[in-house]
Amino acid sequence: MNSASAIVVSNLTKTVSTQAGQLTILKGINLEVKSGETVAILGPSGSGKSTLLGLLAALDSPTSGEILLDGVSLTGLSEEQKADIRKQKLSFIFQSFMLVETLTALENVMLPAELAGIADAKQKALAMLDKVGLSHRLSHLPSQLSGGEQQRVAIARAFIANPKVLFADEPTGNLDHANGTMIADMLFELNAEQHTTLILVTHDNELAHLCQRQLVMNAGELSETVIDVAKEPVQ
Amino acid sequence: MTAAIGWRLFVRELQQGQLLLIILAITLAVLSVTGLASVSGRMQNAIAGEATKFIAADRVLSSPQAIDPTILAKADAANIQYVSNLQFNSMLFANDKLQLVTVRAVETGYPLKGQIELTSGPVDTIPAANSLWFEPRLVSLLGPTESVELGMAQFKLAESLARLPDGGFNPFASSPLVLMRLDDVAKTEIIQPGSRVTYLYHFVGANADMAQFEQTIKPLLTTTQRWTSPQSGDTPIANAINRAEQFLLLASLLGIALACAAIGIAAQRYSERHYDVVAMLKTFGASAKQIRQIFALHLGLVTFVGVLFGLLGGVCLDFGLSFLLPIEMQQYPAPMLRPILLGIATGIISAIMFSAYPLLKLLSIPPLRVINRDLQGVTLGSWLHVLLSLLAMSILGYLYSGSLKLTVIVIAAVVLMALLLAIVGYFMINASKGIGLRTATPLQLALAGLRRRSRQNAIQLVGFSSALVLLLTIFALRQDLLNEWQAQLPEKSPNYFLVNIAPSELSSITQFFNQHQIQSTDIYPVIRARLSMINGEQLISAEQEKQGDQGRVGISRELNLTWHDKLPANNAITQGQFNPSANSVSVESGVAERLDLELGDSLTFVIDQQAVTVVVDSIRQVQWESLQPNFFFIFNQQTLAPFAYTSMASFYLDNSQKDLVVDLIKQFPTVSVIDVGAIVTQLKQIVDQVSVALTLVMVLVLLASSLVMIAQTEAGMAVRRRELAVLRTFGATASLLKRATAYEFALLGAIAGLLAVIVAEFALYLLKTQIFELVVNWHWPWWILAPLLGAIIVASLGFVKCWQLLTLSCKELLQNH
Repeated sequence: MNSASAIVVSNLTKTVSTQAGQLTILKGINLEVKSGETVAILGPSGSGKSTLLGLLAALDSPTSGEILLDGVSLTGLSEEQKADIRKQKLSFIFQSFMLVETLTALENVMLPAELAGIADAKQKALAMLDKVGLSHRLSHLPSQLSGGEQQRVAIARAFIANPKVLFADEPTGNLDHANGTMIADMLFELNAEQHTTLILVTHDNELAHLCQRQLVMNAGELSETVIDVAKEPVQ
Repeated sequence: MTAAIGWRLFVRELQQGQLLLIILAITLAVLSVTGLASVSGRMQNAIAGEATKFIAADRVLSSPQAIDPTILAKADAANIQYVSNLQFNSMLFANDKLQLVTVRAVETGYPLKGQIELTSGPVDTIPAANSLWFEPRLVSLLGPTESVELGMAQFKLAESLARLPDGGFNPFASSPLVLMRLDDVAKTEIIQPGSRVTYLYHFVGANADMAQFEQTIKPLLTTTQRWTSPQSGDTPIANAINRAEQFLLLASLLGIALACAAIGIAAQRYSERHYDVVAMLKTFGASAKQIRQIFALHLGLVTFVGVLFGLLGGVCLDFGLSFLLPIEMQQYPAPMLRPILLGIATGIISAIMFSAYPLLKLLSIPPLRVINRDLQGVTLGSWLHVLLSLLAMSILGYLYSGSLKLTVIVIAAVVLMALLLAIVGYFMINASKGIGLRTATPLQLALAGLRRRSRQNAIQLVGFSSALVLLLTIFALRQDLLNEWQAQLPEKSPNYFLVNIAPSELSSITQFFNQHQIQSTDIYPVIRARLSMINGEQLISAEQEKQGDQGRVGISRELNLTWHDKLPANNAITQGQFNPSANSVSVESGVAERLDLELGDSLTFVIDQQAVTVVVDSIRQVQWESLQPNFFFIFNQQTLAPFAYTSMASFYLDNSQKDLVVDLIKQFPTVSVIDVGAIVTQLKQIVDQVSVALTLVMVLVLLASSLVMIAQTEAGMAVRRRELAVLRTFGATASLLKRATAYEFALLGAIAGLLAVIVAEFALYLLKTQIFELVVNWHWPWWILAPLLGAIIVASLGFVKCWQLLTLSCKELLQNH
């Protein structure tokens, strides 16, 4: 393993039980992502992208294989240890924003910093919201914000604790083209600024193209590819 | 930091009204408990306080000998105030006539509670030295006189006595009562060793002191000494007090059960609403401990606010209700500490126990839910939820009522309902398989809806049916108790008793009644007798038995027999037929039980030194509170006619007719008139107060029911909205959906109604047989009315809630979704 690797995956499989019997979703995935690298994972629905994301982000456990996150093996870790790794090293952006509906924009951004015990969580949150252009929307609830604004809050929240790796699951999936472009720009800009490793799961070729590497997931197998941006988005 | 997150979530959710339902549910539970505990505490204090006036003290000790002075020393030590008095029978002599009287000798301070009533009005003193206060009929019996001889002393007849507070109510007391000073007794020289005298000791003191004193001396009492409290069954109102207390307890218990159900449902909703929050917190690395801390603080704050509002509400409820009580009752304070502690315990126990299961599920939500929104927490056995809920209800029920029996009955009803719900749930899920999502008719759509939402419907059924069970149970019990009281004390209940009517006066008395249009009961002859044998076996007294004599125990005192050709009002035959013949008798059920009598047993009475043997041919239940002449033994006229007798009757006079009493006494000087108006007024007052309390409890239960129902319909809205959106998109018309929704709610309501009737009848059966001793009757109309009512109420509630959704266009439904 290269010491500069943020993620190293070897022979990763995931099998689930269904009514029809055992179903293998991931079939021996091998992958290495360098620190600070931006990687897009593309693939049709049901190909296993989200399952892989869940495993890489220490949200789920594989059936077999090993994942090293920032040099730490996830194998055999308890839920508490995994939670600690997520708190110290990881962050997330979701298609459906996943903001706490009852908290204001500022409070939503403060949340991960507070969980991580960062002392000046509020100051940092204010600065992050300023960076995403929402300093005038601090006390607004998610329901009072547009989709684009909600995702900007989510981006501010994602970067507040200086994560090593950021997982983004279809971050522009719920947005129109203009908002999508703005969010993507903001995401990559902050990512570059904080030297974060970005793992982006998307259907959107154009968005994927902004990443340094593009991987395609198909029927549980992962392959490196070169994207032709002019082509239709992968379905 | 976690505290900050918990606090912030709480404040924001509170501001946005998200916590309204669960706080309301806790508030309601605490309010019911605190309010009802103070109201019933205040009423108990008031009723018990009023009742003490009937025994002229808080407690009375009666003894055939003077008691051990150490008992009185203990009373002094416990800050208990007391007075001693004596009661004995003796002969008065005046105008060359002798008259047997009952003498009560009292010392200064008597009565400790209540007042002596003279015919001229109540007084706060006792007779002066060398004078007697007397019942007016004494003068009728002795003739006009100013002084009388009692034993070796001469006394002045000073004042005419209407009633002693502890004079009791015994229309059979044949000898008139005279009242004298205790320190005058010695000079009469009547009390000699071996004289039959009753020593009475009256005690008053603060509740806590009295309880301690009672505990200390009760073990010291001998078998011939009797300890009396207002509740010990010797006062005319003891029965009414006990039932009223039991009912209040039960109603509150049911109220608590319902509020707990509301908390349970609200906690479920609370937990579901936080699934995403927990998943998100876990994703961002919150540890299990952090999440536990956040939600412990959150729920703690929710409980705190709920308990606080509940306590305030409870105090206001008690305060408001105190104005509804009669003025003399308002002076009795409500107990402060117990209702508040009970309220706090209720809030905390119910919040913890009912939230435990939903919270466990909430805490187990996997972080992966952020990617896969369908993921739920671990499925814990629902038995755990049932167990925790039953445990909470049992603890609260027992804490509140202190009655294991009542608690067990309520829990039994809850368990029956859980079983029925499980059966119905199973039926809904399995029997309607294959219905699918047909949309041909509204009814099919409704049935399909019921099946699809079977899990959610099962929860809804819990709410709807428990609310209905409570309504039906409380409604029926309230009605039965009130009916019973009303039946005992209808308008124009007799307020005067007429005793010692000589046979020669019967026709003129009847004429007097008719002439003045006085409503009276039948006139009953009274013959004094002793019961000497049962089935030829000589009876012994209880004292003889204690001394080791062998034999069947009878009744040691003289009995009053009567004859009557028809069954008196307020009597009900429980065995045999009422048709006394020359050699048969009808026996009251209590005495039959005490003497272990059965139909066909032969009884031998000694009347005027002659033995009369009759066979038991019927057993009657008698309402002793009915204030009518009631008898243990009713004979045929032929059997008793040879013996000397007097007669008695009771009648009602309203205030405008009170002067007739004077006429009656003048016209029939040897007949005694006993005024029982005070007792009637007291009984009516209690019934009125209890009615107020019952109505209040009904209102509270209704409030609680509505809350549960609102919680129910709220819980289903999100799912229903999604379904409506889909159905509308695929072309279902608004009218089809409206009718289907109405049918679905109506079906749910009808099932809930049916379940409620089954459980309510079961609970009522247990309550009436085990607690209230009321006649069990089935409520057949309910079996149709309750499902109908359930259908209408639930359909209306559901329809109102869904109406807005149903009027939205397809686009709006999808957009908002």
